[in-house]
Parts: sequence; C-alpha cells; structure tokens
Amino acid sequence: MVDRYLADSALASVVAAWALDHRVLAPVREGAAIVYRVFTEDTHPFLGRPPTSSAKEALLPQTGDLFTYLYRKDRADLTRTEVFLSEPPPPEPTLILGPRPCDARGRHLLDRVFLERGVIDPQYSAHRAGTLFVSVACTSMQNTCFCHWTGGGMDDESGSDVLLHPLGTGGADGFVARAVTPAGEKLIAALPEATAAMLEELAAARAAAPAPEAAPDLSAVADAFLAMFGDLDFWTDQSARCLSCGVCTYLCPTCSCFNITDENSGMKGRRLRTWDTCMSALYTLEGSGHNPRFSRAHRLRNRVGHKFCYHPREFPQAAAAPSGLEFSCTGCGRCIKSCPVAVDIRGIVLDILAAAAEKAEGAP
Amino acid sequence: MNPNNPYIPELATIIETFDETPDVKTFRVVLQDAAKMAAFRFEPGQVAQLSVFGTGESTFVICSPPTRLDYLQFSVMRVGELTHRLHTLKEGDPIGLRGPLGNHFPYPDMRGRDIVFVGGGLGLAPLRTLLLFMLDHRADYGNITLIYGGRTPEHLCFKDELKEWAERGDLRVELTVDSPGPDWQGRTGVVPAVLTELAVSPENAVAVTCGPPIMIRFTLEALSKLGFADEQIVTTLERRMKCGVGLCGRCNIGEKFVCVDGPVFTQAQLKGLPQEF
Repeated sequence: MVDRYLADSALASVVAAWALDHRVLAPVREGAAIVYRVFTEDTHPFLGRPPTSSAKEALLPQTGDLFTYLYRKDRADLTRTEVFLSEPPPPEPTLILGPRPCDARGRHLLDRVFLERGVIDPQYSAHRAGTLFVSVACTSMQNTCFCHWTGGGMDDESGSDVLLHPLGTGGADGFVARAVTPAGEKLIAALPEATAAMLEELAAARAAAPAPEAAPDLSAVADAFLAMFGDLDFWTDQSARCLSCGVCTYLCPTCSCFNITDENSGMKGRRLRTWDTCMSALYTLEGSGHNPRFSRAHRLRNRVGHKFCYHPREFPQAAAAPSGLEFSCTGCGRCIKSCPVAVDIRGIVLDILAAAAEKAEGAP
Repeated sequence: MNPNNPYIPELATIIETFDETPDVKTFRVVLQDAAKMAAFRFEPGQVAQLSVFGTGESTFVICSPPTRLDYLQFSVMRVGELTHRLHTLKEGDPIGLRGPLGNHFPYPDMRGRDIVFVGGGLGLAPLRTLLLFMLDHRADYGNITLIYGGRTPEHLCFKDELKEWAERGDLRVELTVDSPGPDWQGRTGVVPAVLTELAVSPENAVAVTCGPPIMIRFTLEALSKLGFADEQIVTTLERRMKCGVGLCGRCNIGEKFVCVDGPVFTQAQLKGLPQEF
C-alpha cells in the first residue's frame, strides 16, 4: 500500500468528504476535555492530544435501544392487552477519527466479548462491521501511558483502518496516512502520495523518540492474582481511596459491561442497553439484599482480576503481549489519568506480583 | 430463544396464577406462537428471563419439568421491582420470555444412584423440576429422599404436591419448619439438622441442594460430615443477571459466568473457582 499525505490544511475538507457517506465521530476540544462529536461543517477536529474518552462509544454506544414495545388494549375487553415488539433500525455507517493505537486495539478486546464468547451480539456485530477507525499514531508517551506493558506501541497498527502519523509537533505539518485495511485504503485513495522526505522525517522522529522504561515481566500476573484473591486485607488496602465513581470503567476502551433497563412512556417504551460499572455496589446487588461484592475491595479486585487474570484465562490462545498473555487492558492509562483519587492500576499489578512472590517465599 | 437476537423476548401469555405462600406466586405461561411453544425444549435446571415490558426482566428457573410441556411454570418470590409488578399480573396478561438459558442438572450421571434433595423455602423450585423429571423416569433412579424446610408451615411451597409425593410410596419426604403452628404434624428444626439426624448414606448417592445462602452453607457442612464427596454434591447458584447470555458481565465468578456456565455447579467445581459467593 502507498503512503499518502494529509496536509493539516486539508483535514477539514477530507473529513467533510468522509462525512458524505459516514457518520463521522471527530474529537473536539470542549473546555479541558477532548470529546467525540458527530462531525458537521462547524466542527474543528483536534488531533493534537489523545481524546479524553475512549473510542468504544463508536461500537458500543453509551445508550442504545435493544428494542421498543407497545401495549394495545383490546377495545372489546379493556382488561385484555396485547404487546408488540420492534427492533431498532441498523446503525449508520460510522467513521471515528482520532483514536490512538491503544483505542484501536480495544476493538479486538471488545470482539472477544461480543463476537467470540459464544453468543454473537447482533448490534455490536452491526456496529463493528459498519465502523472505520482512522487513528492517530503517538509521538510520545504520557506519564500515564503503559501500552507497551500489554503488547501495544505508539505506532501499533492493529485495530485501525488508517493510521495517521503526525509530521511536526502534534501533526502541525500534516500527517503521513498509512492504510491498514482495504477499506482504509479506499478512504485515502484520493490523497497525494507522501514524499520520500516526509518518510525520512517520520523515521528520524521515530528514532529520536525516547524509549519507554522497560515493561515489567507480567507473565505470572494471572496466577499471582489468584494467589492474592483471598487476601481481603490486601484488597482493602489497594481500594482504600477508591470512591466507586466508575470513571475508570466508563473511560476504558475495553470495559464492556452493560445494564439493561426499561424506559416507559404511557403505553409504549423501550428496552435500553447502557454502560454499567462493576465499581457500583448496585451492579451485583440481588433482590434478596445479598451482594457477593459488597465492599469496594471486592469490586476493585474484580476489575483488576478481569483485566489481568480472568481475560487471559478465558482466552489463552490469544497471547499477544510480550508476557505471553492477552490482557483486557491496552495500557491507555485513562483510568489512571482521570481517577479523582489517583488509583493506579499499574501499581496494583506490581503490588500483586510482589505480594504473591512474598507469599510464595514465606510458604513452608 | 430468538436465533437472530438474544435480547428480544418471545411473547408469552399467563394462563394460570396462584399463591404458593404469602410472598410466592406461581405463574404458568405459554408462548403466544403455538409452533414455537410446540418446539420449546429445555433441560431440568435451566432458567429463563421473564419480562414485564416497562419494568424490566429477571431470571427464574423453569420449575416444571421438560417431560410436561403443556406450559412453563415459574414460582416467583415478591422481593424487588420486577417481582412486585409480576405479582400484579393475571391470567391472560402478556409477558416476555427469553430462554432456555444456562446449564442443567447432570441427570445422566445420576442414573442408577440414590438421590437426596435438600431444599429450603423457594429453593425447592429448581429441585421440583428435577424431582418431577425423575418421577417421570422413576425406574432410572434409586431411592429418592426429599428433605425440605421452611420458616413456617405456611411458607412451604408446592404444598399440595408435597402431600401427594409423601403418599406415593416411591420417595421419602421429610418436612421441617423453624416455627411450627398448632396443626403442624412434621418436624421442627433447620434442614441441616434433619439431614444429620436421618444420617443419609453417601454410598452411590448424589445430593442436590438449593435454598438460602445460610442453609446451603450448613447443608454443605452436614453433607461433608456424612461422607459426601464434593463431586456428589450439586447445587444451583443465584446471581444478579441482566443479559443471560454471558455478555453483560455481572454474574461472573472468576472467568465463569453463572448465566451460561451455571447456574448448576457441583461442590467440586465451586471449590475450583475464586471464592466469591
């Protein structure tokens, strides 16, 4: 495939052309946040920093109809009712602009849940088939980034249809556009070819970027987690600051848990799927009042366990990371960056490894 | 189950409802599409999601056996929003049904063995499915014992059937209550104590238990003391569920999901999972 050039000045018109036959989600600055909005002619996409939220909303909308229902009374006998269900229309073709490589890799991890676990989720499947990712490669790592722990990297192409490589600071000199899939190639077919000088500049910038601190060896983390599972004091300590606010789960590119609720209006309504959070006590509260995860320690343990133990155990064939395990985490660092009380999942993972090793040494 | 979309319920109609106890009501339902009803198959122990559109959906065991397919029976305790709403419905009202969901009792492994049912309260519902299934294939199983308890005689579910089963002669029925009334003829005391007193033999036997968490805990201890191995103890778990097909996340125990890998587990399987019940 040919590398092409997207000039910064051409960005708006190129995106406008994509928007002719796609719903385009573009990152825009709103206050201190960078959020995805549906592109219109007044939108100014901002690709200079990673978006505040992940790209999962393109595939798993925060709120979506599973179906609508309508009750109708029998006119001859008003004590009798009938109910009718209808499925929502299929999703529009969508293009999301501006995810980072960590977000694009999240696509594969959502696929594991919604396409590979056994039951295929029809709505996710439709969104997945109809959504293109035009991602932006990173030129530096923020201090919350740890994609290399999980097998990712600043210019990792997996999960993207097109990867835009910034030239100059934050793409001030435009982007080298590299198609990853045939659909991505079609998107950028009209762009001019990148020059040899641009590719040289890109390679030089890449070579000059400081290498991240080496990733720790996580090959034993799943077993270490199980070894520490029953030590509730450890988890109480780790979760001491946690507020159960759930921001970590909502911003996560791979957290996929959802709730199902009905919204009623007179004789009709809809059954909704909405993002849910395992950080909430209500998530597992049973009708009887029993709650298997009644404390923050139980809930934080579940979130960390799902990402670094249950997922690799459920999908052992999927090894991609340097550790030989696939985690349900792409190292985007949003849960660290946006946590109001600075809970750091990297620290928890390292503490699990250290505590499990100490336990094993102390064992007779 | 809708083959194209697991979230869309089949429409069903309540054909009969009656009270079991002050807070448990039984619903008998049929799918509105006669062809789908005729084709509906399930295994004992499987569950279904019942919908009251506008209120929501909850999981209940199908407590009629697959050997009796005129209707699907659900016995529901009034505890939360959905069950309160469900209890107001009457014969002829439409509801939604998604199912069958989950795994089932390992009855092929139980053939030729003695069966001990140990139930408390509405925990008898899943046991009823398996018990009726076994009574419909009576020759396949050895001695069958049912030890069942409730708070008061009034709180025992399926009272008419309990009487009928006790009179059949081909199964032993032992009833117990925590607080007896003046007319109570059965035992007084908690289920695990009765189990211990009867000294049920573990030899070539399987124990199937369901009830409130505290009863399960002491029943497991009692069975263990009687010599039942973990592989000989089968139970069904409760968890909050939404999707019922292993996707929404909340019913996990480690990497297992109670809605698809359960609700039926042997005690040996449960011991292999992270202990979070």
